[in-house]
Amino acid sequence: MSAPNSLRCLARPSTSNAVSASLSLSFSGLRIGAAAPFSTTSARDSSIAKKSVNREPAAPYRAGKKLKIGKFKKNKVVERGKAPLPGERKAYRKKIVLTNDNALPVKWVQEMGPNHLQDVNNVGKVVSLPDAVQDQLRISEAFQPSQSWKMFRKPSTLIREETVQMVSKMEKAVGNKKTARLVLAGDKLTGKSLLLLQAQAHAYLNGWIVIHVPDAQELTTACTEYAPIPDTNPVQYMQQNYVLKLLQSIKKANEKVLSKIFTVSSHPELPQNIPVNSPLLALINAAKEAEGAWSVFHALWQELTAQNANRPPILFTLDGLAHIMRISDYRSPAFELIHSHDLSFVRTFVEALQGKTNFPNGGAVIAATSRSNAPRAPSMELAISQRIAEQEKNPEVPKSDPYFKGYDERVESSLKTVEVLKVKGVSRPEARSVMEYWAASGLLRATVDEHQVTEKWVLSGGGVLGEMERAALLTMRI
Amino acid sequence: MTLQASSRHGLSSALRSLEHRLQSLRVNGSITTVKSRRCLSTEPTSSSTPESALVRAAPEIDLDALSRRIPKVPPGGLKVQYARPVPLSPSYFARTARFNDKYLALEKLLKTYENLPIIPYSETERTVWKSLNDFRRNVGEPVKASEYVKCLEIIKRLHQIHPKLKPQAVKDALSDFVRSVQAFQSNLTAAPIDKFGRAIGNGRRKASTARAFLVEGNGEVLINGKTLAEYFGRVHDRESAVWALHATGRLDKYNVWATVEGGGTTGQAEALTLAISKALMAHEPALKPALRRAGCVTRDPRRVERKKHGRVKARKGPTWVKR
Repeated sequence: MSAPNSLRCLARPSTSNAVSASLSLSFSGLRIGAAAPFSTTSARDSSIAKKSVNREPAAPYRAGKKLKIGKFKKNKVVERGKAPLPGERKAYRKKIVLTNDNALPVKWVQEMGPNHLQDVNNVGKVVSLPDAVQDQLRISEAFQPSQSWKMFRKPSTLIREETVQMVSKMEKAVGNKKTARLVLAGDKLTGKSLLLLQAQAHAYLNGWIVIHVPDAQELTTACTEYAPIPDTNPVQYMQQNYVLKLLQSIKKANEKVLSKIFTVSSHPELPQNIPVNSPLLALINAAKEAEGAWSVFHALWQELTAQNANRPPILFTLDGLAHIMRISDYRSPAFELIHSHDLSFVRTFVEALQGKTNFPNGGAVIAATSRSNAPRAPSMELAISQRIAEQEKNPEVPKSDPYFKGYDERVESSLKTVEVLKVKGVSRPEARSVMEYWAASGLLRATVDEHQVTEKWVLSGGGVLGEMERAALLTMRI
Repeated sequence: MTLQASSRHGLSSALRSLEHRLQSLRVNGSITTVKSRRCLSTEPTSSSTPESALVRAAPEIDLDALSRRIPKVPPGGLKVQYARPVPLSPSYFARTARFNDKYLALEKLLKTYENLPIIPYSETERTVWKSLNDFRRNVGEPVKASEYVKCLEIIKRLHQIHPKLKPQAVKDALSDFVRSVQAFQSNLTAAPIDKFGRAIGNGRRKASTARAFLVEGNGEVLINGKTLAEYFGRVHDRESAVWALHATGRLDKYNVWATVEGGGTTGQAEALTLAISKALMAHEPALKPALRRAGCVTRDPRRVERKKHGRVKARKGPTWVKR
C-alpha cells in the first residue's frame, strides 16, 4: 500500500497513527518546512525522536550481532546510534528539496509567465517557476527526487524547442476545443519528465485543471488496494486508496479553479449529497475516506467532461507509460492476471489518450515514457516507432515481428492515433544558455565558452541534458 | 692464445705483432695464394653463409706436387721433405679470429681515410648498430663487450665521414655492423583519406580492439551504433574515448563513427583513444607531437598479469596460517 501523501512530506513521520497524522501533516508540513526545507536539523532534533521512543519503548537499538571488543570484556556493546523510525528512510529518499542557499541567485532569470512557453523567441531561455506554481507542482508531485533541483537557488527550467512544440500543440488544440494527445518518447535523461513538468506549469499558469499521475507503476504493480466495481462487464477494478490520494492532490493543486466551477448534475451514488450547482471543490471534499473515493472520482470525471458546461481546459498527464501498457500484477478472483486497462482509473487515462473522451473546452493528455524504470512493453515500443515513422512520412513503417508472441492488441489500439513527440538532446545554443545559468549559479566553475560547451555537449552524447548535468555538475574533479 | 689488451692501442699492437710472428712462420707464399678450399683460413670464402664459416680440415699435403712447384731446382734434385699448412689470417689462433680481422680492417680503413672531412655525429644519418649479442651471434665468437665498444668507436668515427665523400669501402665495412631492422628508418605510412573524407584508425588496449572512422563534422560520436552517453555509462570513459580530439581542441571539428569489441569498458574507451588519434593524424599529421604529449600515440602494452603457482592471484600471497 502506498502511504497517502506523507512520503514526500518533509516533516518527520511519527510512528503511531501514521496515516491519520500524515494527512494533516502533509500539506501544513510544506509551509513549516518552507523556511529551511533542506536543513538537516529536524533529523538531528532529539526531542522528536525521544518522544517517539517514549511512546514505543521496544527496540531502541538496532537489532543484530553485537560487536565485542577484547577477549575478557564481556557484554560491552558498541552504540551505533538510533535506528531510523519506520518510513523515515523512505521519506528521506523521496524528499524534494527545491532550494539551495549556497547557490547564487541568478538575477537575469525571468519568472515564467502564462505565455512564455509557447513563444518561439523564448527558445533557449531559462525561466524560473513562480512560487505559487512551485507549490502546485510540489503537490502534484511533478518534481522528482532524482532531478537536481536541490543544487540551485530557485527552480528554473530551460525553454527548449520541444517545450515550445508541445505547448503550442496544447494551445492549438484548446483553441479548437479539441484534445492534444501526446506521448513523449526519447532516450534516457533527455528530459521527458521535465517536459511534463513544463506542460503542467503552463497549465497552472493559464488556469487549466491539472491531473497528474506522477508514477504509473504505483497503479499496476499491485502495491495499492483494489476491488472489483460491481455491475461491470467485463469486470473492472477500482483503486480507492490511490484515487483518494490523487483526489486530495487535485483538490490542493487546483483549489482556485475548482472553487469557481460548478456541478451540472446531481450524483446520487455519492456518500454525501452534493446539490446541483455546487462548486467542484465541494464534490471532491466528499471523498473523506478511501471507501467511496472511486465514486467521487467518477463523479468528478463526469463533471469535468460534461458537454456544454463551462469548464476550463484540462491537462491529464502520466509519467511512466510502459507500466500501464502491459498486464498488471493484480489478480482476479479466478487468480488470473488483470490487464492494466481493466483497472478503471487506468482505463480513464487510456480512453482520454485514445481520444474517446471529449473535454468540453479542450485540453491535453500527455504521457511520458520512462527509460530508467520501465517494464518491457513491445506493443508500446512498436506503436511509438510506427507513429514516429508515420509523422516523418517515412515509407518504411516498422512492422510487428511475426514470430513474437508478446504483442498486445489493446495496447496497440490505444496508441493508434496519438502523436509522438520525440525528445532529443538540446542544441548547442540551448546547451550554452543552460550552462551559463549553471555558471551564474556558481555551480560550474569553468568559463562558458565555445570549447567548454562543445565538450559537455559531446560528452553528453549530443546534448542529453541529464548527461550534461552529470558531466558538468555531478562529476567530481580533483 | 688470447689477446689481452687493456686499451685500443694495446689491442691493435698486440694483433700486429701476432701478424708478424705468423708471417715469419710461412713456408712459402705460394701456398697461401692458392685459391683452393683450404679452409684453414679464418676468412669465410663466401661471406656470411654459416656453412662456409665452418672450419674444415686441410687436405693432405702432396710433397711431390710441392717439389714440382719450387722453381730453379733441377728435376730429381731437391725434394720437399717438410711442409705444414699455414692459416690465412694471422689471427687464426686467437680466440676471436674473425672479430680481430674485422677490427684490423676497420683500423686500416680509418688510417686510410682519416683526413676526409667529417660531420658531427648528431647530423649523420641515424643508424642503429648491431648489439653485442647480435654481433656475437653473427660472427660466432665470444666477443668481449669492451672490445666491441672499441670497435664501435671506430665505426662511429667512420660513419662521421661526410656522406658525399664516403668511400665505397667504408660503406661496405660499416654495413656489416648495421642492425638489420632500422627503427629510425621505419616511416609510418599515414592512413589515407578516402573519397568520402574518412580516415580510419585502429587502436588496442587490454583485450579491446577499436576501429574509428573520422570525418569532418560537428562533434557527433557513434560507437557501435550508440551515442557516447549511451555506450559508456561512466563519464570518465567518455572523456577518454574522445581524449585525442579533446586534447587537440578538435572536438567540434570531426564526427566519429567507431566499432569496438572485446574487453571491458575501460579497455574499449582507451582503445578508442588510440584509434581516434591515429585517424586524426591522418587528417592532420602535424598534430602528432601534441597527441604524443596527450598520451594518445603509444599503445599501452600492459595486459593482465598471469597467475603464478603458489600465489592466490598474480602476486597475492596465500593467507598465513600458523600450522
